[in-house]
Amino acid sequence: MLRTGQKHQRETSRQSWQLLVFSVGGRRLAVKTVDVSGISQWNESIPVAGRTPFVTAVVRQWQTVLPVFDLAASLHLTVQGSSPLCLKVRHPLGEMAMRIDEEIPVLHTFDPAALQTYQGDDLPAEGSYTNGLDEIPILSVSRLGSTV
Amino acid sequence: MDVRELMTGSSSPASPSRFLIVTVGERYLALNAESICGLMTLETIGNVGNPTVHDKVYRAINLADRLSVPNDQGGPNTRVVLLSERKVHGSIRVTTVQGLLEFPLSQVLPLPRQFRGPERHWYRGMILFSKSIVLVLNTTWVLDERMSGFEGNSG
Repeated sequence: MLRTGQKHQRETSRQSWQLLVFSVGGRRLAVKTVDVSGISQWNESIPVAGRTPFVTAVVRQWQTVLPVFDLAASLHLTVQGSSPLCLKVRHPLGEMAMRIDEEIPVLHTFDPAALQTYQGDDLPAEGSYTNGLDEIPILSVSRLGSTV
Repeated sequence: MDVRELMTGSSSPASPSRFLIVTVGERYLALNAESICGLMTLETIGNVGNPTVHDKVYRAINLADRLSVPNDQGGPNTRVVLLSERKVHGSIRVTTVQGLLEFPLSQVLPLPRQFRGPERHWYRGMILFSKSIVLVLNTTWVLDERMSGFEGNSG
């Protein structure tokens, strides 16, 4: 379910970061692959009444139940496509699912020397990098749900 | 119908416990059968706010409001569940009653820790049910009078 970024494919140094670049509401975001536990088709989520911001549902995958972080809602965006994907990330409190656009995520090798401070405050980020005119934030998975 | 008359057995973690599976606002919810005193139709309770059965008043609790879920308890399948725990009585309206489920308490899954709000007090955990999940309600919270008009209206 992944394709390799053609423009950025090069020799991988030991210090390089492997990133997964994905889209939510047409906006490109990145996450370290070490923080990713899987990508699959999105199963219908099951709403859970509660008060935790952006954590209002779970998805069931066989015998496993994962909380859903509504990244799109936190960014005031709407997930695009009729076949959205489920991005599973390793959160310190346990595995968590996010609904992302149907566009297939891309693997990208990143030199941390090019890491910039993310200018936005709409999501927790470890930093960002520039791709053309776009600033792509690198999601800080461990802070999802605690600072947004 | 007095549900407790139909139910015997212990509630130790290993032995099966019985849960009444209901829906409220299109969510599956489970109530520990040991807290259930009866099930009534809207016709049976009549036009009273707080049902009275055997001289006990079961204070009406708006569970949908407390959970901030759609209030869809007016249809033909609506039932009133009479609850009692530690001499506190209350009644809730549910959209449908799905039936009884027997399940060991040890197999009730904890609510994921990412749920960090007051809902941690609302539920005792989750049960896998068909292709969905059922949230096990904390009856103590449901019956807590201090919570009425509190959390339910706070957004």
